[in-house]
Amino acid sequence: MENVFQARNKAKSTVYHMRDVVRDRASEGVTFRLRVPSLQISQGEKIALIGESGCGKSTLLDMLAFIAQPTEIAAFRFRPELEGDAIDVAQLWNKKRMNSLGDLRKQHIGYVMQTGGLLPYLTVRDNMSLSRSVLGLAQNDTVESLARELGIARHLDKLPETLSVGERQRVAIGRALAHEPSIVIADEPTASVDPFAAEKIMSLFIGLAEERNITVVVASHAWRHIQRLGLRRLAHHTHRSKDGRTTETVVNG
Amino acid sequence: MRLLKTLRLASRDYAHEWQMSGCFVLALAAVLGPMLVLFGLKFGIVGGMLQQLVENPENREIRPVSSGQFDLDWFTGMQGRGDVAFLVPRTRGIAATLELNSEKSKRIVRAELIPSGHGDPLLPAGGSMPEGMRGVVLSQLAAEKLQVQAGDRIDGSAVRQYLGRKERQHVELEVSGVAPVGAFVREGMFADVRLVEAIENYRDGREVPEFGWQGATNPEERSYPGFRLYAKSIYRVAALKDDLTLQGVEVRTKAADIDLVMRMDRNLSLIYWAIAVIGLIGFSLSLGASLWANVDRKRKELSVLRLVGFRTGDIVWFPVTQAFYTGLLGWALAIGIYFVAAFAINNMLAEQMGAGQEVCVLLPRHFAMALALTLGAAVFAAALAGWRSARIEPSEGLREI
Repeated sequence: MENVFQARNKAKSTVYHMRDVVRDRASEGVTFRLRVPSLQISQGEKIALIGESGCGKSTLLDMLAFIAQPTEIAAFRFRPELEGDAIDVAQLWNKKRMNSLGDLRKQHIGYVMQTGGLLPYLTVRDNMSLSRSVLGLAQNDTVESLARELGIARHLDKLPETLSVGERQRVAIGRALAHEPSIVIADEPTASVDPFAAEKIMSLFIGLAEERNITVVVASHAWRHIQRLGLRRLAHHTHRSKDGRTTETVVNG
Repeated sequence: MRLLKTLRLASRDYAHEWQMSGCFVLALAAVLGPMLVLFGLKFGIVGGMLQQLVENPENREIRPVSSGQFDLDWFTGMQGRGDVAFLVPRTRGIAATLELNSEKSKRIVRAELIPSGHGDPLLPAGGSMPEGMRGVVLSQLAAEKLQVQAGDRIDGSAVRQYLGRKERQHVELEVSGVAPVGAFVREGMFADVRLVEAIENYRDGREVPEFGWQGATNPEERSYPGFRLYAKSIYRVAALKDDLTLQGVEVRTKAADIDLVMRMDRNLSLIYWAIAVIGLIGFSLSLGASLWANVDRKRKELSVLRLVGFRTGDIVWFPVTQAFYTGLLGWALAIGIYFVAAFAINNMLAEQMGAGQEVCVLLPRHFAMALALTLGAAVFAAALAGWRSARIEPSEGLREI
């Protein structure tokens, strides 16, 4: 009986549910396939996707952020709020409801890009406020207090080009958190900084996510440090054909 | 609200990248500016020639080649036509002269009488006109010789052989005004038809009751040997000439000159449009290509906007706003280039042209047309490119760089 309750509670708190989701990509005669037979991510979970370049980490994150369309889907559901119903993402993709997917992203997801993805013509403050202003949220002191926690308060009125790479990544983390999302997806947020700064930035990021009970999915090369932060590692294995022209990664979790 | 946000972001990006924006504006002006100068030249040269044709009443005049007999019914019928601007009877040339004399000059001037009236194209519109039996307008030469000006009184006299003896009668006239030099180059007097008729009657030995001059009784039916006829516009001259020829009235017109200029206009227009269409295709391609390239260059930034939740429609507005700025600024710069070039060309050729005439001219409506065309092409190209960008998966745009 206890197992049934546990299973029901887990289903209720599941943010992402994917079953037999596939994304194919072909370029210059090389075919890549990411296959997800089953993936469940629960509310507040911190998940790490560790692997070498080209193994499909970014592809999975893009599918979770609804910015890349899966090639095949058996089931893909998203429940950003525990009280709400699960949203059928597969159907939204099938019907090409790009704006509906965009609205889901805007309201519930923060995304940290590998290269920051800051808009060069906006100040740090405006870059961080962007996600809030798109949602129509009041411009309170959220951005300032986040900037203080991230150690970039003195840069708020500067343009991104005047900041170091590490500082830009902090701004990107700030932008992903500013509109108080329930999920943050980070694609190798520390790949372009030195290991010492990477460790610092990642600790800061996970700490802020913990404080806010945010579900985190992060892709990274460095498992050792991620492990110390207590993230669950997502199991995956990659097969390459003998001629090297076909690669398939299977993710389960 | 979201649209406003997009416009604000696009404006900030445009200002932030001012060097790149400036290059796009320069590229646009470099194509549009010379096109405006070319059109200004075509419009100025041919337009000036047409204007000259239209403005010079001589070109609208239709003259009978030989004397005929035209009665009042004929005049009434012709005056009622929509293509006739002014028509007045002419009396016999030999009888239509008057000797003029003024107190200010000792000279006696033999002036030709030109029957005239309101609407006479030879006299400036709104200027002095012959008034009644005594108010006359003198030609410039006649006024100079008599040393008179508007408001002066002059004496007009005519001689006739009547009942075997020579007789001279005088009539006091008032100078209503002096006609411009081009109106009549010899000594002449624009007078009401009734005065011209009175002088002719007097010379023919008939009575002129208005002035108390004795003579034979005037016939009830009167006919005239000629007329002075002006068409409403130069474009009506040919049709009027054909109608009169059909009536058996042989006339002389400047239809051949008019036709020549019209043909030149057609040919020059053809050449211009051939160049303009080629220029326009080049202009649209260059504008479209640069805006397309700009949107392509910004795909990553547009994808970031989509990542944070901007909708497809909002994304399209981003390049459209920037294209609007490029179009507007490029147009303004092209107009600046046009004004500088037109000023130089007009100054260079000022000596060859008449007063007030310009070789390179454009009207406000031409600038408005150029603006509409530029903005239309710019916004269309940017909207297409923006739409293409907005339809691409955001992940593709984000991974590109």
